[in-house]
Amino acid sequence: MSGEHLSVRNLTMYYRTIKGEVKAVVNVSFSLFKGETVAIIGESGCGKSSLAKAIIRLMPRNVSVYRGIILFNGINLMDLNEEEFRRKIRWSKIAYVPQAALNSLNPVVKVGEQMIEPLILTYKMSKREALEKAAEALRRIGINESFIDRYPFELSGGMKQRIIIATALLINPELVILDEPTSSLDVLTQANIMNILKSIKGERGLSMIFITHDISLSSELADKVAVMYAGQIVEFNAAEKFYSDPKHPYSQKLMESVPTLRTDKKLGFIPGSPPSLLDPPKGCRFAERCPLAFSRCSEDPPTIYLNGDFYVKCWLYAKE
Amino acid sequence: MFAGILKYILKRSIILFLTVVVAVYITIWIANMGGYVDEIVKSDILLSVSQSIRQNPAFKGLNETQITKIINEVYNNELKKIGFDKPFIYRSFIYLKDAITLNLGRALFLSSDSGSKNVRIIILERLPNTVLLFTTTQMILFFIGLFFGLFLSRRYGSFLDRLSVLLAPLSSLPGWFYGIFLILIFASLFRLWFGWGLPYGGMVDAPPPIDKVAYALSVLKHMILPVLSWLISYSFINVYVRRTFFLMFSSEDYVEFAKAKGLPDSLIQRRYILRPTLPPIVTDFSLTLIGSWMGAIITERVFNWPGIGSLFYAASVMFDTPVLVGLVVIYAYLLAATVFALEFVYVILDPRIRTGGA
Amino acid sequence: MSKVKGFLSQLLLYKSALIGLIIIIFLIGLSIYTVITIPYEEATRLWRAGEQYWLDNPRNALPSWVNIFSQKRLPETIILSTEKPQVGVSKAIVSAPGERFSIIKVKFSFRYEYDDFPSEINLFLKASFNESNPHITIYWVKPGGEQITLKSLLISRETMYYISNDDRLAEEIRGYISKKINRTIEYEAPVTLLLFAEEDNSVLKPDTAKVMKGVYELWIEGIIFETKVDLDAKLVIYGKVYGLAGTDHLRRDLSIALLWGTPIALSFGVTASVTVALIQMFIGALSAWFGGIADTVLQRVTEVFMVLPFLPLLIMISTFYKFNIWVLLAVVIILTVFGSGVKNYRAMFMQIKEFPYVEAARAYGAGNLRIILLYLIPKVLPTIIPSIVISVADFVFLEAALAILGLGDPLAPTWGKIIDDAYEHGALYKGLYYWVLQPSIMLALTSLSFAILGFALDKIFNPRLKEI
Repeated sequence: MSGEHLSVRNLTMYYRTIKGEVKAVVNVSFSLFKGETVAIIGESGCGKSSLAKAIIRLMPRNVSVYRGIILFNGINLMDLNEEEFRRKIRWSKIAYVPQAALNSLNPVVKVGEQMIEPLILTYKMSKREALEKAAEALRRIGINESFIDRYPFELSGGMKQRIIIATALLINPELVILDEPTSSLDVLTQANIMNILKSIKGERGLSMIFITHDISLSSELADKVAVMYAGQIVEFNAAEKFYSDPKHPYSQKLMESVPTLRTDKKLGFIPGSPPSLLDPPKGCRFAERCPLAFSRCSEDPPTIYLNGDFYVKCWLYAKE
Repeated sequence: MFAGILKYILKRSIILFLTVVVAVYITIWIANMGGYVDEIVKSDILLSVSQSIRQNPAFKGLNETQITKIINEVYNNELKKIGFDKPFIYRSFIYLKDAITLNLGRALFLSSDSGSKNVRIIILERLPNTVLLFTTTQMILFFIGLFFGLFLSRRYGSFLDRLSVLLAPLSSLPGWFYGIFLILIFASLFRLWFGWGLPYGGMVDAPPPIDKVAYALSVLKHMILPVLSWLISYSFINVYVRRTFFLMFSSEDYVEFAKAKGLPDSLIQRRYILRPTLPPIVTDFSLTLIGSWMGAIITERVFNWPGIGSLFYAASVMFDTPVLVGLVVIYAYLLAATVFALEFVYVILDPRIRTGGA
Repeated sequence: MSKVKGFLSQLLLYKSALIGLIIIIFLIGLSIYTVITIPYEEATRLWRAGEQYWLDNPRNALPSWVNIFSQKRLPETIILSTEKPQVGVSKAIVSAPGERFSIIKVKFSFRYEYDDFPSEINLFLKASFNESNPHITIYWVKPGGEQITLKSLLISRETMYYISNDDRLAEEIRGYISKKINRTIEYEAPVTLLLFAEEDNSVLKPDTAKVMKGVYELWIEGIIFETKVDLDAKLVIYGKVYGLAGTDHLRRDLSIALLWGTPIALSFGVTASVTVALIQMFIGALSAWFGGIADTVLQRVTEVFMVLPFLPLLIMISTFYKFNIWVLLAVVIILTVFGSGVKNYRAMFMQIKEFPYVEAARAYGAGNLRIILLYLIPKVLPTIIPSIVISVADFVFLEAALAILGLGDPLAPTWGKIIDDAYEHGALYKGLYYWVLQPSIMLALTSLSFAILGFALDKIFNPRLKEI
């Protein structure tokens, strides 16, 4: 397990609401090496965003449980206090691109100024130098430099998203977490962004965590895939293995729902809806929707290791 | 683009001006109280004319009928001189024109401390007192609200936060109400217990100290209770409103992204929470300030503060129309000017408005 | 129905809301009790009644329950009347047979065990005779048996002898007691003190004077030169405490005004608040929904009203017309209705009218009024309930404020009026704190309860707060 860039072990995060305690992230484990991309796939409401925020410690106000181990370059991030984490890790080492960045830019501050804030603060760059770098970054993602002086409301949704990504890359982090970076955008902009990400992955050897609900999209970038359901990771495998032979019934169902270009495929769908994170069922959380459920599924399935770090949480693979 | 801005400014100014005109006109009508004030003026004139004629030695020899005739003649002349021979509706427009051009005329009953009946002087004599007291109060309230509101918005659910929410309903009791009790305790009871107390009211000791510093200190001493009464009443609600306001704005996406960018708290507070919310905060402060200059009638009564509020009260009770109209005009202009200025402030503060976006 | 239940259970979670609600229910109960026991006409009649009606009450008396907390037992009012058969009252009119005159003897006796002197002493006499006025002499007998002649006088059919106001008598008795204790009483001791004081050195200072406790008597002896005569007397020894709430400068029982203030305040506040909110909401909805000219006109009208100074205009109108309280309510509503609230509602409705379900309603052909009443307003209603509740407090205080300024309904027994009277008669200077405190506490209680409830409601109903 050495040499891993990021290793998340048993990360758990709950938060309190009026209706009760939401168990958003339950014992999540996965890892990646430098330059790799892990795709985290799951439906909406399965806890993917909470997982992302849990990694960079953007806790909700009413967090009740936050534990686990996050090893980054060998250091357990959970040992760092708030100030250390902010100064040393957040953004400068691990950047976060939020979902639907339509409102992620400060409406009363110019775009350029917002982009260079971390540069000035962390690297103590001069404003002029930083703005030059920002202009360069904009050029590379295909946005006119003049937008440095504009305000966010003058930009379209797609432009804003690209600028946020550019801002993230500006600081040259080691790891970028992208939460559904393309979900609210049109297909062309989506393709544009995917191209940018692909080129950056190639150029800089950037590690990425790519969160999405779109399986086909994930296949463009992923080296490893983790499937998330109701707060848990139910399957974690290498990309080629996963896309050709998904193990967990949920992953299989997801693959079935993707239309293929040439073959005449009958699209599958999953009946019912995901369980509430407030009061998750005992035992396997997918059991009530699983076509292969059987008697043992009433107990919480163990982690069955497949190969090294990869695993699946399903009774079907438990050897007696 | 410039022409566009100019057109907009022009349009706004005209609308604001018309608003002022209509408001003042309505006041003129109401203040006349259906001719009641006219009657007062007329009977006043009749009385003074009668007196002066009867006392005039030149007319001593004449009999009653002749004297009455002369009185009537002079009376009607006087009425004509001030335009009272025409019906009110005609005169109301003259009053309106005068009021709008700030030609405020002479008071009917009131007079300034210096003895002048010029309405403008009467008002200007009192205005600084009100401005002093209420600007001080509003500024203190503003900073308390801002500082503690910001502070508490980051400690949602903490003890202090819940305390401030608990105490917010105290504002349902207006400042002057607390004022009565403060006077009761610090003026009345203190004198009973300690032989010394804060002043019962007024703005300065009587007789006022000659030395400038002593005078200022005396005024300060008299300001303590009124300011305190407003602080007790309105601080908590202010903090509560601001804290709720900042809470709502702290959950905005761009604040979260700013945190993700690893920005320090102080920068986030300044740039991401305070800065975007400045327009409504500034608007609120300006309008509250202007409002407090005109609306604190009861507070000024309770504390006997010689300001615009007590002037308003005195004029209302005595139906001193010229003073009333003068006050309304000045207030209307102040308000219109503030609203107008705020438009510019908005443009500076919120770039979305500049190009008509959002 | 379940929605209401769910909401109620949420509300009760907030202890503050519970307290507010309990107080409001108490006030409502008080109002109902008051309205049933003392009908409004009677209340105003009583309150308006001149001193004649209240003449048996002490002036500016404290509430009786003060005696529970104070070491000094303050006196209550003692009334002895020959018209009511009582212990301690005896009357005899004797006409000697064959003589053409009658001798009248009235004797009042009472026990005085209080620690403080009475506030006033009055004697009311009613005589019936033909022509000649009776001649009477009044004596005062202290517990020791010592007899003091108060006055000799001829009385008419109705005579009032304000014993406590008799300065000449005061001087006489002062001299008399001074001689008795061989020291001069330096200060101007009032009759009420002299007639009841221990005649020793303690009487030399007003603070040290002690009450001589025991049985006192007042004798009236008189002669009338007729036979068919009658005399009735009423002796009132005014105390310093009275009733639940004390009395004011006109001797009126304050509890009437305090009780009646409750339903008046509640109905004024709630009616004003709800009416203003509903009308403002409707105007805002009209403005937002119809847009165009209607919107422009309504907005300009609102702005004009916002420039007009509300309170001064209200003062002007009240001074001139001296309304009764319900017309005042109407005027307040009219002046407030075009206020800044309209702009807030309009902003809310501007947002809501873009909602898809409103569009859907239009698509199926719903009429404008229907949309406004059934779609727009119900959406906004929950959010504004907190502010309606909170503004009740403002209106309650507005009415009180007008009363304190000396305007408003001069005849209505409201809390504000009590404070106004108190302030006018220097209650704070004279230390008559109860006069100001009692109505103030009622005002504060009412406002606070609504405000607390309103704030708790705000936490529940405000959708933007829920997200936090």
